[in-house]
Amino acid sequence: MHTNRRNFLKLSATAAVATAFGGLGLGCTPKAEAVDRAAAMDPKWSKQTTSICCYCAVGCGLVVNTSLKTKRAVNVEGDPDHPINEGALCAKGASIWQLAENDRRPDSVLYRAPYANKFKKVSLAWALEKIAHNVKKARDENFTHLNSRGQAVNRCDTIASLGSAALDNEECWAYSTMLRSLGLVYVEHQARI
Amino acid sequence: MTNHWIDLKNSDCILIMGSNAAENHPISFKWVTKAQEKGATVIHVDPRFTRTSAKADMYAPIRSGADIAVLGGMIKYILDNDLIFKEYVLEYTNASFIVGDKYAFDNGIFSGYNRETRSYDLSQWAFAMDENGNPKKDPTLQDPRCVYQMLRKHYERYTLDNVEAISGMTRADIVKFYETYAATGKKDKAGTIMYAMGWTQHTVGVQNIRAMAIIQLLLGNIGIPGGGVNALRGEANVQGSTDHGLLYHILPGYLATPLAAHQSLAEYNKAFTPVSNDPMSANWWQNFPKYSASLLKSMWMDDDPAVSFNYLPKLDTAAASVYSWLNLFDKMDKGQFKGLFAWGMNPACSGANTHKTRQALTRLDWLVNVNIFPNETGSFWEGPGMDPSKIKTEVFFLPCSVSIEKEGSVSNSGRWMQWRYQGPDAPHGFKPDGDLMYELMHEIQALYKKEGGVYPEPILRFNLEGWATNGIFDPHKTAKLINGHFTRDVEIGGTVYKKGTQVPSFAMLQADGSTCSGNWLYCNSYTEQGNMAARRSLAQTPEQEKLGLFPNYTWCWPVNRRILYNRASVDPTGKPWNPELPLIQWDAITKKWVGDVPDGGWAPGERHPFIMTRFGFGQLYGPGRADGPLPEYYEPLECPVNSHPFSTTLHNPTAISYADEDKAVCDPRYPFVGTTYRVTEHWQTGLMTRNQEWLVEMEPQMFVEMSEELAALRGITNGEKVIVESVRGSVWAKAMVTKRFKPFDVQGTVIHQVGLPWHYGWTWPKDGGDSANILTPSVGDPNTGIPETKAFMVNVRKA
Amino acid sequence: MSKTFFIDLTKCTACRGCQVACKQWKKLPAEKTVNWGSRQNPKDLSGVTLKLVRFSEVETNGKLQWLFYPEQCRHCVEPPCIDAMTVPGSIVHDQETGAVIYTSLTAKEPNKESFAANCPYDIPRINKETGMVVKCDMCNDRVKMGMLPACVLTCPTGAMNFGEREDMLELAEKNLEAAQKRYPDAELVDEYTVRVIYLVQTSPTSYHEYLEADASSIQRGPLSRKQFLAKLASPLKRMNS
Repeated sequence: MHTNRRNFLKLSATAAVATAFGGLGLGCTPKAEAVDRAAAMDPKWSKQTTSICCYCAVGCGLVVNTSLKTKRAVNVEGDPDHPINEGALCAKGASIWQLAENDRRPDSVLYRAPYANKFKKVSLAWALEKIAHNVKKARDENFTHLNSRGQAVNRCDTIASLGSAALDNEECWAYSTMLRSLGLVYVEHQARI
Repeated sequence: MTNHWIDLKNSDCILIMGSNAAENHPISFKWVTKAQEKGATVIHVDPRFTRTSAKADMYAPIRSGADIAVLGGMIKYILDNDLIFKEYVLEYTNASFIVGDKYAFDNGIFSGYNRETRSYDLSQWAFAMDENGNPKKDPTLQDPRCVYQMLRKHYERYTLDNVEAISGMTRADIVKFYETYAATGKKDKAGTIMYAMGWTQHTVGVQNIRAMAIIQLLLGNIGIPGGGVNALRGEANVQGSTDHGLLYHILPGYLATPLAAHQSLAEYNKAFTPVSNDPMSANWWQNFPKYSASLLKSMWMDDDPAVSFNYLPKLDTAAASVYSWLNLFDKMDKGQFKGLFAWGMNPACSGANTHKTRQALTRLDWLVNVNIFPNETGSFWEGPGMDPSKIKTEVFFLPCSVSIEKEGSVSNSGRWMQWRYQGPDAPHGFKPDGDLMYELMHEIQALYKKEGGVYPEPILRFNLEGWATNGIFDPHKTAKLINGHFTRDVEIGGTVYKKGTQVPSFAMLQADGSTCSGNWLYCNSYTEQGNMAARRSLAQTPEQEKLGLFPNYTWCWPVNRRILYNRASVDPTGKPWNPELPLIQWDAITKKWVGDVPDGGWAPGERHPFIMTRFGFGQLYGPGRADGPLPEYYEPLECPVNSHPFSTTLHNPTAISYADEDKAVCDPRYPFVGTTYRVTEHWQTGLMTRNQEWLVEMEPQMFVEMSEELAALRGITNGEKVIVESVRGSVWAKAMVTKRFKPFDVQGTVIHQVGLPWHYGWTWPKDGGDSANILTPSVGDPNTGIPETKAFMVNVRKA
Repeated sequence: MSKTFFIDLTKCTACRGCQVACKQWKKLPAEKTVNWGSRQNPKDLSGVTLKLVRFSEVETNGKLQWLFYPEQCRHCVEPPCIDAMTVPGSIVHDQETGAVIYTSLTAKEPNKESFAANCPYDIPRINKETGMVVKCDMCNDRVKMGMLPACVLTCPTGAMNFGEREDMLELAEKNLEAAQKRYPDAELVDEYTVRVIYLVQTSPTSYHEYLEADASSIQRGPLSRKQFLAKLASPLKRMNS
């Protein structure tokens, strides 16, 4: 995570009484020591966008606050104006901030050469060029113009694709038609299993 | 879903069977709870007492895989006690149709069975036709060959004794369940079903759903608020990904993938354009040629659809046993594939029979894995039992944006297409999947342009720029292309649509290439009025508000119709069956329907309501399925019994399986029924959620739930590490000994069942365990190919 | 303005959205846990877990109930933990909302255990890294901005409710009446002495030892506990069984 654990703790230790609290209670005025979370929701500091939860297919609405400075998410919660969830989210949905702000996301495209025992970092451009060559080779060397009955089938039987119900509609459609243009017929995804 | 999430609140009886909605679709319980508050009864039928059962008004345990026995028994109960919604059944279902002479059923086998190919000749099950080419009917329902009488005969074996003996459900539960649910067969009552993979992941998956659909039709529960047949669906966009044809057998819009037999667009259209001679039948698929031509145009804008049809790859057969998932991996294991894209998927954990799947990956020359986190698929070569120095596979792992870091739409189970906006930027310059697709395809096109290649036309002429603006993937432009536009000036009914105008709805699509539309079902989603999926108005008429239709919030396919088959919610004169909850009503003055967008604007009684079926009727008898026109009871391919009461045909005779893979049937080494499932805190293979510490904190490790009785039998204490093993492999799991599993009495024998989540994998967390699919068999439903991961046989022992 | 939570446990599905929403808003770290034969995890509240859904299986006469209890600070009307305060300002009782808030000054308290000892619900915990005594703060920052507490916003079924005290008491009575049709033993717990009122479907102890303040449960902080229970013993305490 971008904010380390210690910072979290400092934040949580103090923010609870930061702005929300000016001279209240038993005659004490706790000192505001850190950034406070509620103020971070202010349009001065963050932009607010709506999204839809990426997990099950109920389609719950989200409100995402993104820091204008870091361009990273600062808070994700249920969209109270969404008629299906009315602000509600389950454990997974409530955790989406951590999906994005997560140190376990790798920092590069990775490549594993044949027989190698580890990944190495490569550029996206290098990877895409190599993948394109692989696709062309597998397709061109084994293209099936005619099936065993002599019928024109114009397909590529040596590349398969799996995925994905996690893609957006526009991506699904793009991917579906792109694969067909390459001649793929072994096209499957989560709906099959 | 025929209906949608909010509509659950309109139900009088919610049956949750084959799903665990409170845990896997938690927010659905907002609307289930609302229904309960208004007096609805919630019934949960499941092998295990779950968070759903905890909230249900009635919970009835059932042995995994025994659903058709129980549902078949309900069909018999409804018919025997004459609890059907008579007018609906007579007017709107095929109950009165006469079944042709060739149909027969004997001892678990339907007519037309070929033992060699383990498949049926479906033509044997056709209806008897009259001189006009329409099905013969007997409106008195007395003809012994009419569907109604056929149903009675078929299910006469499904007695309470038989159902009780095989399902493990108690007699009292069965009767109470039947009574409660069948009470929705009244005009002013609605019953609904919430099902998920608990029904589909069986070798009789499709017939499980068929059995419930029959019940819903008999009770008049389809097309009405609070009713329907509702698949809950497990992924944010599994509805959309299916709509857009990311499956071998369909192209976008559920257009069948062409077969080798279709050597021209005309032949293809002819094969998939049904003909009905009944003027009352809308027979919506008669529009197939408009949709196929518009799709081809969207893919190859500069070609005549008759030409670009040749660019589409053709299958040798539509059979699931050849191209679907299980067979894909069987062929991969045998070395057929050079390359694999695993794009937003983790098959090394999600597919049945994990060891076989992981082994198959070693046969590839290359693998492209696009995902958020490293996972068991992209890293298979360093997984348990793998020696990287012996594995040739080249692997490309491409990280991508997460959903809140990109813009585009997803379609939920209720078919709502909902637009998402980009919030944060992705770290390290990562891109959305769409950008990666565009850039890869651009690279491939450039390579063919530069070097030439085999059959390059489909690639070179592909409308790639239709997705992009200034060389960058553009979700808006793509969404507009999916909706479609006029490719030249076209006059329809006196209105001229200029070239480039967005097509207002699929009724305007043309078969001559004058329109393009990437997916006819989404035509109307991005029109000249703008992006309908981005709408956020909560405005409703009082009637709509009562139902919670929200017609101005986002957009729903088809043409913003919120409840499918809604013409079945009114009687043939247009009056709602339930005047308290009108879904659509005919306004005699304006001559228009008000309420939901109707299933076609025809006046009441002008069309049969089931417009997507050839004859316009709900199909009690369904002659199009691979394994029979009526659901029949069979045991899972791995089971604890060697006989059942309904026939001597133990298993589905058409199920997909591999003869060289052993199956445990009454095998003393694997005495317990196993099943897999999910928990609220993780998702699918856990790839996304296992990498989030808040979620791992709550569900850190693989576990196996078992009854106190089974734990005592095996000397297992709660929380200890145990081994669960099947014919295919074994996994460790923490024992969760619980009162929520109880042994079943099956044909007088005590049968234990255990259950495991399938969220874990060896990559992360390190002490989390591995996939439950190591245990599951590669056997599948003959219609869909879906594997039977909900019922298989295991042993459990102390570690 | 005086706020109160009403938590209807007959409607809780233990989706644990609240448990995560709490951590998400406050950006609290996760604990390292293992599966210990229960869905409940972490096992207990802690210095970084201020809201915890507890699970318990109860079977009586062959009828199984799986009980879910999202546990949190009660924000007592007369908070007995204030008696444990020795550093002025380590506990703040917000007179506007009624929130009982532990501040960073709790780190300077000489006897931090006394906070929990004085709590009839065993809520306060010590954060080992900051040394602070911690617990739910009613999302007072959100509430002041007109937002719902994170746990309440995220609850799908209407189990978690938050609002003006009178409105919550009214809702509690209404839901109690509805709940008793299905659960004759349903009751409201300590509704006149706390700002987090639970509606239980069966005896509070079936859920957890400290769901209800109980004189017989523990004796760790006798003086303040006695004072607190004296208040509870007033005729206002209501049992609907």
